[in-house]
Amino acid sequence: MSLTLVMTKVFLKIFSRDRQAIVFSLIFPLLLMLAFGFFNSGEVDPIAIGIADEANSTLSREFIANIDANPLFDITQGTEQSLSVQVINGNIGLAILIPEEFRGNPANVALQVIIDTSQTAQMNTVIPLLQQTLVDIERDLRGLEPLFDLSIVDVEARTQTYLDFLVPGLLALMLMQIAMGGSGFNLVEFRRKGILKRLFVTPIQPNNFISGLVLSRLLIVMVQISVLLGIAIFLLDITFIGNLLNLYIFIILGTTIFLSLGFCLGSLAKSQQAIMAMNMLLTWPQMLLTGIFYPIDAMPAIVQPLANVLPLSFVVNGLRGVAIDGANLVALMPNIIGILIWLAIALGFAIKLFNWKEVAT
Amino acid sequence: MSIVKTENLHKKYPKPGKKNEFFYAVNGTSVSIEAGEIYGILGPNGAGKTTTLEMIEGLTDIDEGEAWIDGISVNKEPYKTKKLIGVQLQANEYFDHLNLSELIALFSQLYGRYDDPLLLLEQVNLKEKAKAKPKELSGGQQQRFSIACALVHDPKVLFLDEPTTGLDPQAKRNIWELVRELNSKGMTIVLTTHNMEEAEYLCNRLAIMDHGKIIAEGSPQELINTHAPDPPSAPLHGNLEDVFLTLTGSGLRE
Repeated sequence: MSLTLVMTKVFLKIFSRDRQAIVFSLIFPLLLMLAFGFFNSGEVDPIAIGIADEANSTLSREFIANIDANPLFDITQGTEQSLSVQVINGNIGLAILIPEEFRGNPANVALQVIIDTSQTAQMNTVIPLLQQTLVDIERDLRGLEPLFDLSIVDVEARTQTYLDFLVPGLLALMLMQIAMGGSGFNLVEFRRKGILKRLFVTPIQPNNFISGLVLSRLLIVMVQISVLLGIAIFLLDITFIGNLLNLYIFIILGTTIFLSLGFCLGSLAKSQQAIMAMNMLLTWPQMLLTGIFYPIDAMPAIVQPLANVLPLSFVVNGLRGVAIDGANLVALMPNIIGILIWLAIALGFAIKLFNWKEVAT
Repeated sequence: MSIVKTENLHKKYPKPGKKNEFFYAVNGTSVSIEAGEIYGILGPNGAGKTTTLEMIEGLTDIDEGEAWIDGISVNKEPYKTKKLIGVQLQANEYFDHLNLSELIALFSQLYGRYDDPLLLLEQVNLKEKAKAKPKELSGGQQQRFSIACALVHDPKVLFLDEPTTGLDPQAKRNIWELVRELNSKGMTIVLTTHNMEEAEYLCNRLAIMDHGKIIAEGSPQELINTHAPDPPSAPLHGNLEDVFLTLTGSGLRE
């Protein structure tokens, strides 16, 4: 039996006996999945707004009724003063002031919108909606038929929930975390305990050792990912229309990238504290920037070029493409190329940095 | 032919805090150890004992000079020489979650052997502990286990780095008997120690190292004849260790 296989079997034995680590690394992604699966009905929370109706006319009441009909808004009525206080307190997002002239057949009446500029998160959504409501009312008053109308048709013609979108991202996230954490931590620990040094006096060669560690980690990660995937498909009933084999190709390639990156850190770091800090530096940006929780297109334009080339982005896109679009490998070729480039970079560095003699002694 | 031979070994390290300045941890050691010998390297901490061993074992690069095991160059064919030697290191921690028997099996397999781990564990008196983890062993047991791991492939030369440091007298004597037993079967043993009694009791030949150099070499009796100061006029009878052993008995405590 080759020494690589000997090491693979031994590491599998060691890792599978560390039940705590296996269970706990599953809990976080599982909780996230369950939280989104059971509590997210897909509806958006209404935005609380206030209206101070100083006109109290047929027209103003019609305007208020129009806004009220929109499920996006939750209306509180009151005086300008009381509503201003509520805006400041953050109870309502904004207040609209309907002036006295808003009656009969008004000529260019200005509605005032009171906002707190420190809480403008929702303004970009609310203002266009208000304008649209005003245009509707104006058409109504003038008896005009709208020239244009929007009719929205989903090209994918498939019902997808946020969970369907999220699960492939979570799989990728977990794969990155287990892979990077695992391999690097092991290396630092084995070195600190003198185990690498002890192995180094036997005839085992570095490539036997590394391949054994990578292979065993890869198998463990695949089992963990499969458990999550199984729960997502059978328990949470997510839409999964792709080819499982293609999915596992992305899982294997992605895991190997992050195992190699973990090895790089393990060779560089002199202590567990150091590797934790380095690990955060590499994983956090990817967690936030790679479209796990919302698409990269929805991110600020300035970070998109970076976000698009992060290794985890290619893995997320690949897994998501297979899982929810049922894409084949040809369609996902750009992602595969991205992954292979990162794989070459990560493996190259891992081999260059893992100097058996230095790491071992 | 010597089974272990070194010629003019040097190991230099950068001086702490100074660029381009070096100090020699090992500064030109040449030894020639015959098959079947128990050879001891004595010396204070920092004398270069461990570094010398590590260069012979292939753990540390040799900066200058050369070392051979059974005529094979350590520098040129390290993986060949590694198969000939067994090494017990000062630090002896192992993989978590594996018991003694599994660890022995692992080390055997690294040399391509599939012997029954229990046979070896029996030889070092640890058969009952086969299912225990190394951490659960006493100091003496750990040291015996560590030696067992170095014996999995029946090496020609066994290197022991301070094998009895930190052990109680009973455990120490027990290791000595194990070393003698292995040697009686023909195994060459190279050990480092701080313990003069150990050196005198076990070793056929000794090298005394200081500041990276061998300052004296010979059999214990030769060294005493050549270098020992004149005896005091009223010699003491025995030493403190003899007192300790007389009072506490020499049975193993584990």
